[in-house]
Amino acid sequence: MSEQVEQDWLDRKLQEAAPYIEDDGFTARVLRALPQPARRGEFLRSFILVGMSALASALTYVLSDGGRFLVVEMFKITTIPTLWVVAFALASGLLVMAGGIFAATSKTTQLESSIG
Amino acid sequence: MELTDAALVARVLVDEDQNAYGELVRRHQSSIRGLLRQLTRGDVALADDLAQDAFVRAYKNIRSFRGEAKFSTWLYRIAYNCFREDARKRKELVGIDEEQWQAEHDPQTVDPGLRHDLMHALSLLPLHERSAVLLCCQNGLSHEEAARVLEIPLGTVKTNVLRGREKLKKTLATWAE
Repeated sequence: MSEQVEQDWLDRKLQEAAPYIEDDGFTARVLRALPQPARRGEFLRSFILVGMSALASALTYVLSDGGRFLVVEMFKITTIPTLWVVAFALASGLLVMAGGIFAATSKTTQLESSIG
Repeated sequence: MELTDAALVARVLVDEDQNAYGELVRRHQSSIRGLLRQLTRGDVALADDLAQDAFVRAYKNIRSFRGEAKFSTWLYRIAYNCFREDARKRKELVGIDEEQWQAEHDPQTVDPGLRHDLMHALSLLPLHERSAVLLCCQNGLSHEEAARVLEIPLGTVKTNVLRGREKLKKTLATWAE
């Protein structure tokens, strides 16, 4: 057997001697052992949202003469007919429910695509 | 369409997408586990532990992967380092070394069957020759890639492959006829 043929034969036999190893849950074990992804920027985002809300509230309070508009608006609400209040509560409930259904559907689709 | 390794790595880097990393593990688990099984002389449990350690280490250090080499070459390097560190620890703990193992495994006791003979002949090679032969001849890495994985000069890799091949050929001479 020539040198090159011998070399090729040996390489081929070495490759044949290393069959494909089935996963058998190995990937799942590795994924379980991975560190959880760092939630980068989440603290900053919360801080900005809470900070801006607090600032907006303070500004509104100051600019509205100590929140006097609240008293006025509350008085207006008490004069609204009962039927209107019921209709408003019903519409709010439907809106919240629709939002919940939309969020649940999109989350399910996202989970299905990540599993599949 | 199947994403390339580079695209999956990008997803891991940008979104910390563990599903993308899972796909990379699925693609390379066989070759990495296979290499480690050969390096640990068939100790499947130890090889799988080292492979898991290597993949977790690769995930933690994925930002240091610059894409200059193939992702698989980078993985081989990490796996080989895991093996080397473990071998060093074991040697310190139980005092096993290459020469002792070779002395205990007489080539005359080889059972029939080419595959068995080949694996046995491979396991008798010194670690530096075995690693080079496994990477270049079995896993198809170029000499340059193997040099990067083993962190040794290119010329040394070539010498180790040549010597390892010669020894294997001698041991398996009857099969090649």
